[in-house]
Amino acid sequence: MARNSRQATSRFRALAELLRPDARRWAGLGMLVTFTSALTLAGPLVVRKIVDLATKGTTAAALTRLAFVFLFIAITTQILSVVVAWFATVSAWHTTNQIRLDMARHVLGLDHEFHRTHTPGELIQRVDGDVTSVSDFLGKVVPRAVGAVVLVFGMIVVLLFVDWRLAAGMAVYMVAAGAVVVRSRHRAVGESAEEMGAYARLYGGIEERLTASEDLRSNGAGAHAMWRFVEDSAAAMKSAVKRERAFLRMWWAVQTSVATGAALSLALSAALVAAGVISVGTAFLLFQYLLLLERPLEDLVQQLETVQKANGAMVRVIDLLAVEGTILDTGTTTPPAGALAISFDHVSFDYGDGDPVLSDVDAVIAAGRSVGIVGRTGSGKTTLSRLLLRLVEATSGAVVLNGVPIAEIPMDVLRRRVALIPQEVELVAGSIRDNVTLFDPAPSDEAVCTALRLAGLETLADGDIHRPLGSGGAGLSAGEAQLLALARVWLRDPDLVVLDEATARVDPVTEVRLEAAVRELMSGRTTVIIAHRLSTLRHVDEIIVMEHGRIVEHGDRAALAELDGGRFRRLLLLALDTDEIPDLEIPDLEIPEIHEPAVTP
Amino acid sequence: MNVWKLAWRVSQHEPRSFWIGWGFFVLFFTFPVANGWLLGRGFQAISDGHTSTVYWLAALLIVCETLRMTTIHIGAITWTQAWVHMQSLVRANMLAAQMASGGLEAGQPVGSAGEALTHFRDDTDDVTQFIDGLVDVSAGIVFTVLAGFVLGSANGGAAAVLVIPLAGVAMATRTLDQRIKRYRGADRLATAAVSGLVGDLMASATTIKVNNAIEPSIATLRSLVDKRRETAVRDRVLDEGVQSFSQGAADVGLGLVLLVSAGALASGKFDVGQLAVFTAYLGWLSFLPRMVGRVLARRKQAGVAVERMRFLVADDLASNVVTTRPLPIGHKQARHRPHTHRPDRAPLRTFAVRNLSAAFDGSVVVHDISVAIERGSFTVITGPIGSGKTTLLRAILGLAHQAEVTGDVLWNDRPLLDRQAFLVPPNCSFLPQVPQLISDSVADNIVLGRINGQADHTRLAVALELAAISEDIAAMPDGTDTLIGPRGLRLSGGQRQRVAAARALVHAPELIILDDVSSALDVETELQLWSNLAAAGMTVIAVSHRAVAFDRADQVLRLDAGVLVS
Repeated sequence: MARNSRQATSRFRALAELLRPDARRWAGLGMLVTFTSALTLAGPLVVRKIVDLATKGTTAAALTRLAFVFLFIAITTQILSVVVAWFATVSAWHTTNQIRLDMARHVLGLDHEFHRTHTPGELIQRVDGDVTSVSDFLGKVVPRAVGAVVLVFGMIVVLLFVDWRLAAGMAVYMVAAGAVVVRSRHRAVGESAEEMGAYARLYGGIEERLTASEDLRSNGAGAHAMWRFVEDSAAAMKSAVKRERAFLRMWWAVQTSVATGAALSLALSAALVAAGVISVGTAFLLFQYLLLLERPLEDLVQQLETVQKANGAMVRVIDLLAVEGTILDTGTTTPPAGALAISFDHVSFDYGDGDPVLSDVDAVIAAGRSVGIVGRTGSGKTTLSRLLLRLVEATSGAVVLNGVPIAEIPMDVLRRRVALIPQEVELVAGSIRDNVTLFDPAPSDEAVCTALRLAGLETLADGDIHRPLGSGGAGLSAGEAQLLALARVWLRDPDLVVLDEATARVDPVTEVRLEAAVRELMSGRTTVIIAHRLSTLRHVDEIIVMEHGRIVEHGDRAALAELDGGRFRRLLLLALDTDEIPDLEIPDLEIPEIHEPAVTP
Repeated sequence: MNVWKLAWRVSQHEPRSFWIGWGFFVLFFTFPVANGWLLGRGFQAISDGHTSTVYWLAALLIVCETLRMTTIHIGAITWTQAWVHMQSLVRANMLAAQMASGGLEAGQPVGSAGEALTHFRDDTDDVTQFIDGLVDVSAGIVFTVLAGFVLGSANGGAAAVLVIPLAGVAMATRTLDQRIKRYRGADRLATAAVSGLVGDLMASATTIKVNNAIEPSIATLRSLVDKRRETAVRDRVLDEGVQSFSQGAADVGLGLVLLVSAGALASGKFDVGQLAVFTAYLGWLSFLPRMVGRVLARRKQAGVAVERMRFLVADDLASNVVTTRPLPIGHKQARHRPHTHRPDRAPLRTFAVRNLSAAFDGSVVVHDISVAIERGSFTVITGPIGSGKTTLLRAILGLAHQAEVTGDVLWNDRPLLDRQAFLVPPNCSFLPQVPQLISDSVADNIVLGRINGQADHTRLAVALELAAISEDIAAMPDGTDTLIGPRGLRLSGGQRQRVAAARALVHAPELIILDDVSSALDVETELQLWSNLAAAGMTVIAVSHRAVAFDRADQVLRLDAGVLVS
């Protein structure tokens, strides 16, 4: 319970914090809403006058005049309410767009581990979908709620002038009704969040299946994909009904208050009129005011769904903003300029499950050297590269660059000086230029073209680099995408380059062209190349062989290539001539003329 | 197919919940008629001084309200179910079309999944909102007819004058119709652009981070959300404006009633009780034109939505978005995990490609390829980047949707009519260059269907062995039940590739087609894979650049600029 209230407080504080930059705008809106509410209260006063005059007996002309006044007020109120809607929507989007950007920035900065466990579809829902719920809340519900509050207070003030007992009765009634509604409102938040979670899973699943649609189609997996969808939809249905039940409890509360109010006011008016305390016109005023209350209350009940959604969304927004990366940017030491020397100082790593991915890795790589890392998949090579970029943090031991432990280097310095070309290149919807610069406006078009050429993508550099590349890289082959990632690095001037299978999807012909480029990239920098294809490692200075998270061989490439019984030598032979492998049965086949050019000595 | 007919089909997907929900909702709207009448009698009694009658009427009012709430309670829960049923039908039809391997149901694949998601979320919502609005309108009609009868008998002239503001509401929405449609379209495009970019950024979070590109990416996102703000404001203000206008119409109506009946009021012919009935009904009376206006707007929005959704289903036909299909998602409906329907195995003797060409927008990528392949042989395709290797494979498989493909693929010398439908396991399986996995278990990702008994477990184990991944799987905490995370991200790149290889092998296909696996596999693993496939006597077509593949190939096809050079 204490936790709940603390959450609620932080929620309101967070909301206030979010509104602060646009405070003036919201204050202006508040004034407009107040004025509209005041006009709304004036209308029934005119009707009261009409009723009183009619009961006492008067001329038609006097009543017609009053009717015109009423009509004028009604039309003005109507125009004002449209202005309020416009103003409110603009303000809501202004404010929430800022939240969207803050969230996107925050989530992008979170750990690799976070992104491993959340689908992009789910994150779209949380960064954009949830905030849109908040936006609907700010744009639609808040102005109405403020209007209703002003209306209630205004009503009590007006009634004070008529008869203090009526005002007191109305105040007591409003407090009681308000308490009932507010109490029941809080009950539905959990169900609403649950429903949104169910929908996030449903949409996340759909997004994932659409992404994998080619794989699923070519495997005849339609029925399987649909079964998952049916399961997710059934869960959504269940949570929607549950939320509706919670919502209805709220409805009951509101409607009971309204009905009780109407019945009470009718009975009370009858008693007061009979006692001669108030006129029939005043009784009518009370009746009209109650109708006025019913309208925003009913309206609010309709919007309470938005409130619930927004409340659930708000919790999720704040939860997401509260997720903190475990890798903190607290460093202040910049390593000396120039190529970076690497030292792995008894580094071990696991994902917190006690299953070590790296155990006691200890190695020193001098500045400017190039090192190839080989080993079977799952031997820990990729984790080693992630450590160098501080995408993950060593469980024990330390990674030291030019004498500075990596945790003590400011993150933006590290990101500037260490570049990664990953195994899987992600492209974004945007132009070719956007994909190379990753939306950075600073590099000139010429610089981008040069980088593309250096990476072997002349065809892209020769065309218009502002032409769009489809989302998910439609229009580029996997090999070309890897070259594009190489171009990203050329554009920067890092001191340490980590290539994780960076040329794996490039065909041999292109690879030969690329090789010169990679060698040029090596000069003056430290380079770590992870490769399955040994041809990529022809020009590196050193080789590290990994096995089950440990370094089993480390030395000069030339020396290891000649080392009898060595792991690296065995791999080289394997790549050269399959007949040398004794432990695998290979049927005799005619060997064709084409050889992989890169491994021809 | 027009939107009305479409909405009808969607509503009749689960007719029980729809009609029960509708019935209770309409009933709910008859109660305000009674309430207003009671209030009118009450004021009549107050001004006549019959105080005790008023107390009775107040008690009756409470009873009436309790009944009203009970009605809406039942109605709302049923309607929520009807709502999810309707939305799920539309979603299921789009998803099924996107997942179908050929056949009549298959739709054109979408470009970006993030963008396509807006069809499943917002467009689906628009169609259901339209149906929801129609239910509101029918309830509004019932109320209006009953209330009109009561008011007309009280004061015909005053009742007639109400037609003016109410008609005004409907007219105003009609003239705004076209605009609403245009604004809605622009808003949807802007929203799709935002969620598309957010999705891309989230999918490539690591790349963005290591390239120090968070701020520039956020700046790009800012320009997109700003643009969306403009479209959203236009869209929503119009919507809100229409609503405010129709609500205000009640007050204008009261003003007109007062004007018209000023004489009657002064003379006492129109008494305070009658005025109370008018006042009580007016708030509800504006419901119908408001809903009519809203439905008109929603009809347009639903039209825009359907126009967008139809491109996901077969033949771009809107009617395929609403085809009724069994969809047991209710809490009382039994669900069985289906057997994945697969075509009958057609044992392969020979496989041939005849004069196959593929072109994108007129530029030829694969040119006139003819190849013959024997059962049990190993064919390697190689060639430089962009030489059309992947396009050739996809054209063979019937997956090159964006290309114009000509030529034939022959299975045992007979041309295949629907390649996409026929070339699935157990006839043929395909391993793409970058396979996509799903956040399920390892076993689910491989079998893609129900595992039934020991025979299936054995097949799974054999496939894991063949794909050289059984050791990795055995080392995982839950073995083949291990969950692999979104897009399989808890596995390494090589593991993903081999899980996908196991997926391609598990149904012992007659023919297996592999795009370049060397990108994710080290040379030892690749060698092992080829050896395993050869040992299993499989017919293989593979793209590779490695000597280990050439060494065991029966034929090597070298592609250059889409032409077969050897």
